[in-house]
Order: sequence, then C-alpha cells, then structure tokens
Amino acid sequence: MGTLKIDRVTVRHKEKVSIKNVSFEAEKGEIIGFIGADGAGKSSLMHAIAGVIAFEGEVRFDQHAYRSPKEAEGVKSLISLMPQGIGLVLYDLLTVDEHLRFFADIRNVPQDEAYHTYKTRLLKMAGLEKFREFRAGNLSGGMMQKLSLICSLLHRPKLLILDEPTTGVDPMSRIELWEILDQIRREEGTIALVSTAYMEEAARMDRVLLFDEGEIIAQGSAKELIESVREMTYLRTPEAPEGTITTLERSYSLLPLSAEHAEPTLESLFFVNALRTNRAPPPVEITRRDSEENGNPVLMEAYSLTKMFGPFVANDRIDLQLKRGEIVGLLGANGAGKTTFIKMLLGLHSIDGGELKLFGRAIRNTDDRQALKASIGYVSQHFALYNDMTIRENLLYFAAMRQIPIDTALKRISRYASELGFSNYLDSVPTELPLGINQRFSLAAALLHEPAVLFLDEPTSGVDAIARSQFWELLSALKEKWGIAILITTHYMSEAEFCDRVVLLREGGKVADDTVANLYALHPDARTFEDIFREYYR
Amino acid sequence: MTKIFWAIVGKELIAFIRSWQLVFVVLYAFSVEVYIAGSGIEINPRNVAVGYVDLTGGGMSQKILTRLHAPEFLPPKRFDSQQQLSRAIFNKEIIIGIVFNADFEKNWRGGKRTQLDVLVDATAASQAYTTLGYLQNIVLDLSGVNLLLEIASHKLFNPNADNHTFMALTEMLSIITMLTVILTAVVFVREKEQGTWDIMLLMPVDPKLIILAKSFSQVIIVMVGIVISLGFVVFGMFETPMNGSFAAFMVLSFFYVFATAGIGLFIAAVARDVMQVAQLSIIIMMPMIFLSGAWTPIHAMHPLLQLLSYASPLRYYIEGSESIFYRGTQWGDLWPYFLGVTAVGGVMYAMGFRKIGRLF
Repeated sequence: MGTLKIDRVTVRHKEKVSIKNVSFEAEKGEIIGFIGADGAGKSSLMHAIAGVIAFEGEVRFDQHAYRSPKEAEGVKSLISLMPQGIGLVLYDLLTVDEHLRFFADIRNVPQDEAYHTYKTRLLKMAGLEKFREFRAGNLSGGMMQKLSLICSLLHRPKLLILDEPTTGVDPMSRIELWEILDQIRREEGTIALVSTAYMEEAARMDRVLLFDEGEIIAQGSAKELIESVREMTYLRTPEAPEGTITTLERSYSLLPLSAEHAEPTLESLFFVNALRTNRAPPPVEITRRDSEENGNPVLMEAYSLTKMFGPFVANDRIDLQLKRGEIVGLLGANGAGKTTFIKMLLGLHSIDGGELKLFGRAIRNTDDRQALKASIGYVSQHFALYNDMTIRENLLYFAAMRQIPIDTALKRISRYASELGFSNYLDSVPTELPLGINQRFSLAAALLHEPAVLFLDEPTSGVDAIARSQFWELLSALKEKWGIAILITTHYMSEAEFCDRVVLLREGGKVADDTVANLYALHPDARTFEDIFREYYR
Repeated sequence: MTKIFWAIVGKELIAFIRSWQLVFVVLYAFSVEVYIAGSGIEINPRNVAVGYVDLTGGGMSQKILTRLHAPEFLPPKRFDSQQQLSRAIFNKEIIIGIVFNADFEKNWRGGKRTQLDVLVDATAASQAYTTLGYLQNIVLDLSGVNLLLEIASHKLFNPNADNHTFMALTEMLSIITMLTVILTAVVFVREKEQGTWDIMLLMPVDPKLIILAKSFSQVIIVMVGIVISLGFVVFGMFETPMNGSFAAFMVLSFFYVFATAGIGLFIAAVARDVMQVAQLSIIIMMPMIFLSGAWTPIHAMHPLLQLLSYASPLRYYIEGSESIFYRGTQWGDLWPYFLGVTAVGGVMYAMGFRKIGRLF
C-alpha cells in the first residue's frame, strides 16, 4: 500500500472553476488537513479524489491511476468518503447495529470472526456500545458523526476522505473522533484527507493545505505555516492605517506597525491572505440606535427552568440572569440542552417548571409574551430566511410584520447593509450567497426592530474565520453602542473568550456560570478554554 | 392589522410566482388536465371497429353496413368465415362482429322471421351496449315497422346529451379540491422546512392573522386558476352552457375553496415535509372525491356511501355547480348548496385552523 499522488487536477462546475490545477502528494499513514474559506474548492477536490465527480488531470493511488469516475471504480473498495453535513449518510429509522450490518453488506465485507472483533473495537472507540439498539434519528449530532465515521471504516479503507466531519459537533465528540482517526491511521496506515473549520484540529495534522479560490496557496506543517505569518501579526492596536485588519485579539498588517508582535495562530493565515489579495474586510462600525433604552438593568431572569420531553429531562432547573450590555456564552456538548433552553426562553417550547421573568415581568402565558416580542431578536441555527425572495424583500417583509413604518425600515435596512457589509448583495437570493453573508443579514433581520435582547443559536457554525471574527466585532460593538444583552451558543471554544460570562451546560444541567477570567483562575492548568471545557466533561 | 395581512398575502403571491415549477403545475392542471378529462373520457361509441361475414351475396346486408359510418364506426371490414371473425375479435382487432347467414336475405325479402347474429367484445361494457342499441335502431328503421307507440323525448339542460362539458366541469372541480389542499399545506410546511416557522412565531403578530392571510393567498391563486380554466377550457374549448349566474358560481367557488383550505391546514399541522404533504393529501382527498359524485352519480351508490357523501363538501359544490351551469338555477334557489358548502366546509376549516393554531 503506497502513496497518493494528485496531479494537476481541475474541477469545473458548469462555467465556474472550483479547483485549478492542484497537485500534492500524501504518504501512507499521513493526515492531511484542508483549510480555507467557504467555496475555496475543498469539497470539490475531495469529491474528485474520491472519484465521484468528473475532473481533469490524474489521481494516482497505490497502483491505480484514474482520470474519471469510471476509471476510479477499481479503487473504490479502498476509498471511503464522508460528505459534509451531520448524519448525511445515515438513515434516521435504522439502529446503530443495523447501520453497521448494512454498510458491511453493501461493501461486501465478509462477516467473520475478524470483522466482529474489529466492529466491536470501533463501537468501543466511538463510545457507542451502549447505543447499539438506538435509532440514528435519536442520537445526538456528535454520536451521529462518530457512527458515520465507523461506518465508513468498516471495510478498512486505505484512503479516508472526510469533508468537515466535525462542523457543528461539540468539543468532546470532536476529541473522540480524532482519537479514532489517529488510532486507525497508525494501525492500518490509512491516508486521511480531512477538511476542517476548527484551527485547533488543523494544528494537530501532519500537514495542512490552505485553499483559496481553487488553489493551494500555502502548505506545510501547522508550525511552519504559523511561522510564515509571524511578521505580520501584532497585538490589537487602535491605530489602523490603510491595509490593516484588526480583530478582537490581534491586528494584521503587511507593512510594519509600531505595535508589538503577537503570537500568531493558523487563523492568522486567513487574515494575512486577505491582506495580500486585497480582500480586507472594511472595519466594523455601528451607529447608535434610534431609540434609547433605560430602566431595569436585569433583562432576563430564569429560576430553575425545566423542560421535559416525555421522561427525558432536557433542561434541569437552570438559573440564569442576563443584564443589559452583557454577552453571555452558552456552551455544552450536542444534546446538552442549549437550543432547548433558548427556545424555552423565546416561548417556542413550553416551560415545564420554574419561573421566567423578562424585563421584570413574569411570563405565565402567551399574552405576556406577545407584548415582549418587540424587544427580542433571534437568529436561529440555520439562518432561517425565505429563499424565494431577495435579501431586501426579506428584510422589508420582516419589517412589515413588525409594523415598522416603511421609511424607517428603508433607512435602517440601508444603514445595516452598509454597516454589516452586505450592500452589494441586497438584491440576491439567500441561496446564492456564502454563509457568512447570510449570517450577517440574519443578524440585521433580528436587529430591525432594535431589540433589547438578542438570542443567537450557533450563528458562527460553518462560517469561515474572517467572517467569524467580523461577526464577533459586530457583537461587541452592538453591546457597547446599544447596550444590548446577548445570549449566544457556539461550538468554537476560542469564541468563549469573547464572552463576558460563560454558562456551561451538561446533560441538561448547569455546571458552570462565571467570567472567563475566573474560570481560568479556577483551572490553573488549562492552557486554552477547550481544556477548561474538558474538565467539566470529565 | 390589515397592513400586515396584505403584507403576508403579497409575500406569498410573490413566492408563488417565483417558483416556476409550482406555477407550471397549477397552469397545467387547470388547462391540459381539464381538457384531457373532457375530451378523453368517452362513453358514446366512437371509432368502433366492425367486422362482418356476409354469406348472402349483398343487398340487405350492404344496406345495413352502409349505415355504420364515421365518427361512431370505422369502415366495416369483411371476413370470409366466422372463425376468422372470432379470431379477430379475440385479437382485439374488431369490437363488433356481424354475421349475415346465407338465408338472411331470402327470409327478409320473403317477409319471414329472420335473425342477425352479432358478436360483441363486451370488455368496454357501456360502449358495447350503446353500440348494440345503435344496431337495433338501424334494423328497426330499415324494417319500416309501423309501431303505434312513439317516444317524444325532450332533452333538458344538456340538449346534445354531450358528456364532454360535464366531464370537463367535474374534473375542474376535482382539481380545485386537489390544488387547494396541496398549495395551502405546502406554504405552511415550507416554512417548517426552511426553519422560518420559528421566526414567524416570534413576530409580534396574532398567529390567527398569519394563518388566515397565508390560506387566503392560496385561495386567490386557485380562484385565478378557476377563471383561467373556465375561460380557456370549459367555455373556450367545450362550449359548456352557462344558464345560471356566473357570479353565483364564483361566490360558491370562493366559499368552497376557503373550506378546502382547511384540509390543507390540517395536513400542514401533521406533515413534516412536502413529501408527506403529497402522501397525506392523496389519502384524504381520494374518499372525498369518490364520495362527491364526481365519478359515480350519488343515487347509484350503496346506501351507506350515499349517507357518507353528505360529509363531503365537494358533493354540494358539484351539485351546486351543475345546477348553475346546466339548470340555470337562480340565486334564491341555490341556498341548499351554499348551506352545504359553508356548513360542512366551515367545520373543516375550523378544525384545520385549530389544529395548526395549536402549533403557534
């Protein structure tokens, strides 16, 4: 079993070229990371290598060379592809065991003694032994991804292609996924190509390829790549000459700045690349809102809120306070009850126990809520937008529903469009736009009525590094200029550090509620926030 | 309030026009589908293949055969023996086979009792029987019998006894039912699929208004479809008579469509995606259409089914529409149909409204 050689591969989707003349090689047992913005061509290249879409150029794996999906037929028994999207290859109504049997059958794996030992080991590694009789539809996102991974490992592939296997997956499941992957490649000598949006993961790979507009613009070990941008990375500085990008943590500039240098990360690569290609995002600016809010500084109080789904306790007596001008991060594994909690606060789920006060008013029935809907903004997990209307029409529709006078609505829409940076896309349909743009425009929709509280459910999932850092700058500007209170859930542990306070949920209960600084003080051994997270999930 | 109502209606209409597949389906159903039903379903004999064996040497037999002409019959085909004719019928080449026996002509001319042997492929039973009736009439006519009794018939409401106009009309009414249910269910379920449902729930708008506005927008679409179908197909192609008030029909249709939208609401509350909408609509609509008298006249059904048919609002709608189109029933006399549609339909809409309202 040998090496993988990609030779000048080009992939076209109709007129659009998604991958241009890309070449690279991989050795047995190597894990190669693909990183890059949305639409940089990572998925296209993965599908071409897996031999499921037409491409130009040649792929050579082991002894086989192929130039089309048809020629790739011969090596497909050695390849496994896990496409992007949680649970995409699974069947909701089949149990874990039935999945394994099904995937073994279609892959023609003889179900002998060796297979059973291997299968039991995989189940054990994935922590799924206890769930063998569970239907896939009832598993959490993290479990689904682990099941997808072991299903694609059943036939012992020698080339494993995983397209963002960890996007939207909680940190614990992510760690377990990586442990499975690491063990398999060491034992089986499997080559793994993995794309990821989490730079902590990319740092652990043997080699990282950075994609931009269909080309590999940098490659090497994570360390080498990080070193290459050290010179352009500075501590956050308020001085911002032309050609500087400033995020909440650092500033980047191709020309020397007077500020001190900061420790770069893999994320820094994206910013430096944006500077080099003249695609630096405009600095974030937010003007004060039309209406001024005063009064009670405590906007939301929840006392021992409980939610049950049948016998299952989704939220177990959670207390939470949200004050004006505060960003609270709600963290936890998939299925820990974050979304349920937010939906209960919003009134999308009924409250099964405890007491909720919004703006000092106890919420008992739907009439109590109706009056408060005007003060609450919400961005849901998948940026729910009407796909048959343009962004402008979407926003006007939301404004009409909120009974905002048309001239005020038009004024606000054009202001948000320029401040949140989507003016150029106002007449496009959401499905045509990158996730990062839809994210900001969902935020604009949630801000149209100038709410006092904003609930954000995983707004940064699947969005690339630059868009994410911009989003956080927006949030912190909103907090300062508007005095808005924000409750946000996220899977990026690095983002926890931007929150004023962090609330950690585990299996429906609250296990921590403190400022980031205090949490670090409580856990002196932790180097990153992910370490702290792991402490609570031990 | 009214501003929000029209904002929602306008948005739904824009969304409908932008999804060209849906526009195509609606236009197709209201035009081609109605046309096919009107022109395709044939109960009278048409293009019937006739074969014969003539052992008489011509004369009377040819006289009879020349009466079998287009468009009801194809030119009769000659066979040499009865076996050949039987085989042709067996092979579906011939539907009616006539055998003129050797003594047929002689007996006829001699004024003696004689017999014409006819073989019929009775698979298409009603066509076969009507054809036999035709033959009987021809023979009767030729024999010149002077009966003392004469039937003086007067065809009312549909003077040409043309069943095309009737078929096209009932098909249109069935399509109105189907599209209203599906369109209404889809506008709600699409919100579930796109995830905009939650956003809608968080708007400071009375959910009742949202439900009402959304179903109203689909009622408008169906009403436009009705006008198109009436203009181009029902009146345009089939020249269906309109003896009553057009306005009465439109008002009755409006009530009916609104009522049927209630079924759509019910389905939308239960279904998770558009696929389930399709499955559920078929399950719910089949008995409703079957019990309405669209396919079988209600008086010909089993007594139990006749009773059940009172629960189908389509029954009142079809009867009412027939009365307006053919009988020219006046406004004042249409009240049973209006009552039936609004009573049964009102209950249905209320049920659907409540069911989906619980999700808000």
